[in-house]
Amino acid sequence: MEASTVLQSLISGLTLGCIYAALGLGLFVVYGVTRVLNLAQGEFVMLGGMLTVSFCSMGVPLLGAIILAVIVTIISGAALYVLVIKPARNASGSTLAFLTVGFAYAIEGITLLVWGWEYHSLTNFLGSSSIHLWGATIFGQAPWVVGMTVLMVVGLYLFFGRTMVGKALRACADEPLGARSVGISVEKMALLSFVLAAGLGAVAGATITPLTMTAYNVGVPLTIKGLLAAFLGGIHRAEGVIVGGLLVGFAEALSAGLMPTGYHDAIALGLLLVVFLARPQGLLPARGEAG
Amino acid sequence: MSPIVNRAKERAARLVPMPRVPRAALILLAVVAVLPLIGSAYLMSILIKVGLHAVIGMGLILLTGLAGQVSLGQGVFYGTGAYVSALLCLRFGISPWLAMPLAAAASGLLAAPIGRAILRLRGIIVAGVTLTVNLIFFYLVVSVSDLTGGATGLSQIPRFEYPKVVSYTTFIFYAVWLLAVLCLILTTNLASSRVGRALKSVNVLGHGTEDTPQVLGIDVMHFKVAAYVGAAVFAGVAGSVYAHHISVIEPHTFSVQTSVLVAIMVVLGGVTNPWGAIVGSALIVGLTELLREVAPIVLGGPTGSYELVAYGVVLVLTLLFLPSGLCSLPARIEQWRRGRRL
Repeated sequence: MEASTVLQSLISGLTLGCIYAALGLGLFVVYGVTRVLNLAQGEFVMLGGMLTVSFCSMGVPLLGAIILAVIVTIISGAALYVLVIKPARNASGSTLAFLTVGFAYAIEGITLLVWGWEYHSLTNFLGSSSIHLWGATIFGQAPWVVGMTVLMVVGLYLFFGRTMVGKALRACADEPLGARSVGISVEKMALLSFVLAAGLGAVAGATITPLTMTAYNVGVPLTIKGLLAAFLGGIHRAEGVIVGGLLVGFAEALSAGLMPTGYHDAIALGLLLVVFLARPQGLLPARGEAG
Repeated sequence: MSPIVNRAKERAARLVPMPRVPRAALILLAVVAVLPLIGSAYLMSILIKVGLHAVIGMGLILLTGLAGQVSLGQGVFYGTGAYVSALLCLRFGISPWLAMPLAAAASGLLAAPIGRAILRLRGIIVAGVTLTVNLIFFYLVVSVSDLTGGATGLSQIPRFEYPKVVSYTTFIFYAVWLLAVLCLILTTNLASSRVGRALKSVNVLGHGTEDTPQVLGIDVMHFKVAAYVGAAVFAGVAGSVYAHHISVIEPHTFSVQTSVLVAIMVVLGGVTNPWGAIVGSALIVGLTELLREVAPIVLGGPTGSYELVAYGVVLVLTLLFLPSGLCSLPARIEQWRRGRRL
């Protein structure tokens, strides 16, 4: 086995891992505050990508296109909460999850109606080009993807740790009744969590489109990978979701580089499933749990 | 007859309860018997689809409605049934009639270890894991192409031998719906049996919990795995019939998309009522056919888009306004009327 293959796998793994970590963060924000497993998170990423492509093709400069895409996706996230989740918020976890599945289907169908079957792509941000390093290739967009995830992590850390709204969100996650009794509107915080998840998803979607392309049906596979990341690392903690995302990314890339062609997808997923079943509470312990 | 014999008979009947056959099931059988006389071949082929999905869905009634476990991965066992049945016939030349029970057994055997591994988990996470298992199954079927034919699948799967008094489609229609009615009777009776009560007691989606029955001496794990295996056997039989019905199978039929759609059918119809599987399957298959054939012609736009929107809207509206599924509609109307009379 050549060193360059391993290096290439590690680079791809880091990039993929960052994508899955971003997906997992969206799931984490909603699950933490509302205990809803949002199976439409991948659709936010897909919408972010598709809308950015559309606004760009209308002649809007990239940054403006991303901002517009984020706004439209946030509106869809708010719609998911207000129209679908809020009326049923006392339902069981599986009912709520199926409601988000329904929303995901609707979004997919509407996207297919508006944009058709075709795959769309974007040019690399600021025209960055591929870098060759000891026989491995770093795609021009890859540093942007990694940078986006790092920014998200830092941003969320500051938001949850330093701002009043962020602390209120955390209060709802830890103890909804207590949060309500000190005057925090749990409904508003739940809405905010969906808006935040939609925004994170849209930014991720715009950033990964030059690398992965986008189409109406890319949402479901992304959701599944995000779920895997979130559960593997532990959906109760942001750190867990990030570790889980990186693990899924590295497993996928290393398996693609080193395992027999054709079997690598099944092997990577199988290994991750075994790891998960061995430690179903997540690799990182929940806060307060010893060890 | 002497009273002693009568009493003994009564006791024996109580020990081995006779299966109760709901009257509606008999009406359904009668409708099924005459439908091929008036329906077109196209209608028959759609109703076969409805019946097959209803059989898989009936398995989910066992698993979700009775045992309270959500599965988004029935495609694994539907696919196992189809591939095992097809391969047994293609490689060893055995009769499809023999291959069908073997394929169902294979699905059940595969389900036992998977169930043991994943049903230790609690809550909605089980659904996520079954989804992942389905994805792994799909990748494996595509990869092991020497055996499964890879992405193109298997073709020239032999048909069931049958007395050729009706067309093959009509024969399959009868077979599928006879199977559906059998599953319906089985599920209905199971629900009111000792096993059914044990399953309901472990049902975390209903009024059950997992800890209390465990303390009372009910082996919770055992019953959950049994329900999972039962659901897999239903799906395996459906897969086998499907394979010998259309003669060509390919991996996409058994993908995550199918599994999620079957789960949606059952949720739409109502997970606690075996009729829910039939109602939900009829609704989704009907919507799909209608919107795939008609809507793009009338409204324009790409094929397949309207049905996705329709699945989403129907699912959300049903869960919001009839959370127990469409089968709870008559009871709901009755309740509403009684409320107005008071």
